[in-house]
Amino acid sequence: MTGYRLPTGGRINRAAPLTFSFDGTSFAGFEGDTLASALLASGVKLFGRSFKYHRPRGLVGSGSEEPNALISVTRGPGRFTPNLRATNVDLYQGMEATSQNRWPSLKFDFGAINDRLGMFFPAGFYNKTFMWPRSFWEKLYEPAIRRMAGLGQAPTDVDPDHYAATYAHCDVLIIGAGPAGIDAALEAAATNKRIILIDEQDELGGGALSDPTLWPWLERSLKALAASPNVQVLARTTAFGYFHDNFIGAVERFTDHLPGIPHGPREKLWRIRAAEVILAQGAIERPLVFEGNDTPGVMLASAAKVFALRYGVAVGQSVALMASHDSGWNDAFAMAGAGVGIAAIIDVRDVVNEALLTKANGLGINVRLGHSVIGVRGRLGVKAISVARNDGTAVSDITCDALLMAGGWTPTVHLWSHSKGSLAWRDDLGAFVPDVPNENVRCVGACAGTWNFGAGVVVDVLPTPKDPARLKAFVDFQNDVTAKDIKLAVREGFRSIEHIKRYTTNGMATDQGKTSNLNGLQIASTALNKPVTDIGLTTFRPPYTPQTFGALAGHAKGALFQPTRKTNIDSWAEEQGAVFELVAQWRRARYFPKAGEDMLAAVNRECRMVRSSVGIFDASTLGKIEVVGPDAAEFLNRMYTNPWKALEPGRCRYGLLLKEDGFITDDGVSARLAPDRFHLTTTTGGAARVLNLMEDYLQTEWPDLNVWLTSTSEHYAVIALQGPNARKVLEPLVEGIDLSAEAFPHMAIREGTICGIPTRLFRVSFTGELGYEINVPSAYGRTLWERIMAEGARYDITPYGTETMHVLRAEKGFIIVGQDTDGTVTPFDAGLDWAVGKKKADFVGKRSLARPDIVAPGRKQLVGLLTDDPNMVLEEGAQIVADPNQPVPMKMIGHVTSSYWSETLGRSIAMALVEGGHSKMGQDIFVPMPGKTHVAKVSSMMFYDAEGARLNV
Amino acid sequence: MILIHCPYCDEKRAELEFAYAGEAHIARPLDPSALSDEEWETYLFIRNNPRGRHHERWRHAHGCGRFFNAVRDTVTDKFETTYKAGEPRK
Amino acid sequence: MSELLARIEPTPAVPFAGNGVTVTSAPPMARFSLRARKATDLEKLLGVSVPQKIGTMQNGVMCLGPDEWLMLAPHGTKIADGSGLSLAVTEVSDRNVAILLEGPRAVAVLAAGCALDFDHFEVGRATRTIFETVEIIVVREAAERFHVEVWRSFAPWLWTAFVTVAAQ
Repeated sequence: MTGYRLPTGGRINRAAPLTFSFDGTSFAGFEGDTLASALLASGVKLFGRSFKYHRPRGLVGSGSEEPNALISVTRGPGRFTPNLRATNVDLYQGMEATSQNRWPSLKFDFGAINDRLGMFFPAGFYNKTFMWPRSFWEKLYEPAIRRMAGLGQAPTDVDPDHYAATYAHCDVLIIGAGPAGIDAALEAAATNKRIILIDEQDELGGGALSDPTLWPWLERSLKALAASPNVQVLARTTAFGYFHDNFIGAVERFTDHLPGIPHGPREKLWRIRAAEVILAQGAIERPLVFEGNDTPGVMLASAAKVFALRYGVAVGQSVALMASHDSGWNDAFAMAGAGVGIAAIIDVRDVVNEALLTKANGLGINVRLGHSVIGVRGRLGVKAISVARNDGTAVSDITCDALLMAGGWTPTVHLWSHSKGSLAWRDDLGAFVPDVPNENVRCVGACAGTWNFGAGVVVDVLPTPKDPARLKAFVDFQNDVTAKDIKLAVREGFRSIEHIKRYTTNGMATDQGKTSNLNGLQIASTALNKPVTDIGLTTFRPPYTPQTFGALAGHAKGALFQPTRKTNIDSWAEEQGAVFELVAQWRRARYFPKAGEDMLAAVNRECRMVRSSVGIFDASTLGKIEVVGPDAAEFLNRMYTNPWKALEPGRCRYGLLLKEDGFITDDGVSARLAPDRFHLTTTTGGAARVLNLMEDYLQTEWPDLNVWLTSTSEHYAVIALQGPNARKVLEPLVEGIDLSAEAFPHMAIREGTICGIPTRLFRVSFTGELGYEINVPSAYGRTLWERIMAEGARYDITPYGTETMHVLRAEKGFIIVGQDTDGTVTPFDAGLDWAVGKKKADFVGKRSLARPDIVAPGRKQLVGLLTDDPNMVLEEGAQIVADPNQPVPMKMIGHVTSSYWSETLGRSIAMALVEGGHSKMGQDIFVPMPGKTHVAKVSSMMFYDAEGARLNV
Repeated sequence: MILIHCPYCDEKRAELEFAYAGEAHIARPLDPSALSDEEWETYLFIRNNPRGRHHERWRHAHGCGRFFNAVRDTVTDKFETTYKAGEPRK
Repeated sequence: MSELLARIEPTPAVPFAGNGVTVTSAPPMARFSLRARKATDLEKLLGVSVPQKIGTMQNGVMCLGPDEWLMLAPHGTKIADGSGLSLAVTEVSDRNVAILLEGPRAVAVLAAGCALDFDHFEVGRATRTIFETVEIIVVREAAERFHVEVWRSFAPWLWTAFVTVAAQ
């Protein structure tokens, strides 16, 4: 199997042989080979099985246009990459590659039965076949289809690689380093502009790499670019998407071409902003559509030339060419010059340029003009072709082991289309070319339609005497779409190419129709008897080629996935073995289990200790906003539901914040420090939202107010000290503040020092106990916490977490915005009428509280629930019904918002939003839960110390 | 990722720094209590959804922090202009 | 006032020497958010001139917005709180911490996650922006030296991001 490597030529390094395996078989290649060229050189023609019919498939192209040769490469545990194009995989020593979409083996594939049953799999067969019965879908159709369909296997292990990312800026970004791109870079390099030149291949040069006459020019040019300090060259880098304002996404591959497990990032995501973009992406040759055009060994003429002249590989020992374009002839001549045996040239045209004929004759090539290939013999590889005159006569066979297709050229306009540049149809090229740009971008070289490949004709399907309804002539190789599928779609009434595309799936595979779109369009055009321009072109979308999720994630992985915000005290909680939960981006201690305690036992103990002695809680995550300026009170008066102007310095007030629609959006206790200075608190999750809402009103509705808002959330660590012994713990530590009940009552604030640190000391309570919240600069949070712990040891001071905080506040009927409210709850619904200033002329949301829907009866209102079975803790989120005996589906009248075991009360408690709840006091409602429907009585939410005697001590 | 010209910073900055803030030039009524339910509904809920020029608000949230107004074409996603809050409709 | 309690900072005290760039935790410092309608209102209070142009820094005061300045000063510095005046002074010393980047690859470390064009971000510029998802303030103190302010709880993430790129 070694007869395919040409004795000389190519850019491979014949002094550096490599070994690798494909489907477990060992092969040899050279440094500079791709997996595709090395396998071809070893005589391999069969690279994969097709998506739908599991037909044997070989290489069609030589680069990223390749639709068939999708393979997987494994580099050890977790390093498995499916769906790579063999033509884009640079060979390295020891590579392990496998074919895909076949079982049990590539040569004998059970799924190929689909090909025999092809008549049952026409275009749109998924849509038609599996509609009924519906119940079959989940159990039968979908699993079966999933097993058979799809391309490579998705990796299942965690990806051990890491990835880099960066932004970059340049004046000129050139995408594609073929001759046109290199020329553009050289021209720009002469200016003082910042230039980035990127190319997806391992070597710059593009088409020049398969034209040895250009190699001296290439070498000179690359040297000149390397010597230009203003030019950054990125090879092995794919520009996958072109986004607004010349923002280009590209992925640079660092390690996939190297043996072993390399150090450093595998890939890097480049986010490039360019003043000007030059697209030099070249053009892709178009296959021809005829029976058997998907047989392994049938490929693009340009690809065969690349294999011969760049990699020194003959795609066959006796090669035939089927052309509708001059370029194929020239490719065949170039290959002949490199030592590839050219058996015949068949051209659909009756007349071609005399010079081509003369050259072919001179090389002794058998030429048939006005002929077409009508069939290909050989299932796993081309053995011979059938050729006929275009009128169907004079059928004859030509023996060959490879057949090249030269159907003309399609400019690579993918990125141009991403940028929303318009396209214009060129009849002479049979192709769309870039027309009016939508960004500062231009196309150069073949992707602009300017090429010197010669002339050609555009043919939708090659002439054949065979019945077109039985023809297996492929258009989209990757999605197995044939010419007759497209004609069928037209017969069934589809007119727009967008619909035809979706019905047939033409151009919807991972190759984004690089080789199929234009042929599909031509076939639809003929079938509809309309010019191509009336049918339209489908949209190209990013990515240009598939990219790894790792590259797109960039460094947002592991520790850098997203910030986990921790308070200054968090490290202490971690050392104590606290169990944490995430609240917004904050990590908060949920409870502090002692040996052998589960959550319930820990929370019960924490609750008991707060109620009986003293607990300590890290409240640092509370949002804080400093409101300063002569109009501070006026501003808060307009924002909050209750009056603020008369609040005396040194006092605190509960503030309820609505949105203009009248629904509760946040709450918190705020303090007046001075006539023109307030210290606001918000919920942990609401901090950013509240500041944004307040800034919005201040900047755009009331810009005349002299008041400014500053987030101080992170300036302060906040330690809540709660329980009957809280004052005693605090007393020895605080200076400059009289802690007595008379001098420092509930809902007051004092400034002084604690352990020598300046503090804003709040006397507030979210537990119903005597309580303080100690604000100190954040850096002192933990050390102060530890001092308080030491001081409180004689009272058995107990750290508690968010779970206990939730239970204690629920016992007092304090709501949690976002848990007991859901954005549709008004102050009245929540039982917070007392917090709404009845005499205030206006505040944000006031007018909405008089909207018809808000004052209508039957709104869901927040109430307490007490289950008949005191040991039953309802599920949060459980639905509530009025009559448990009604037929399913029952009418749901509300749901449980908070539910806990209350250690203090020795029974369960719950809060719920219930339709007309306030008028249902004492009534039974029913909560269906798995296994049983529970009965509960609607009650007040004040389950404990309703008169507040424990607070005012 | 679009670039947005902040009229306060007088610089084009990446969209990442900005937050969209709804339709522009909808002033809060000076005396909401004087409005009928229908008028209040219009202020609160009724918004334009034009195909083409759209007056909208953005905030340079991770920049200078200011809310400002913009005219953006909803078809092309291109900004025609941006201007400071309080300036007349453009 | 004697400090009895020790400070705990969120980023390492030991600098990280990366490839062409050193990542260092700045020492604690005093920070004040200053708000006023005009720079001159603040100048009267502070007794020094403050920058008028958004995105610039002068005398340790950076102008972040049309009515917003951030003042950096040695740890422990106190300033008048502007009580009764039509302006706002708020101490935010411990809200932020600063990470310093110095070396020829300092720009590369910032550009890894920040969309600013540092070729057009001169020495003396100071601006609020975003590094991936985290808000930062970038000050270019010298061609190859940056002072990056970040909210305290985001600092460990930012430090990890910086040293990860610095090590590459």
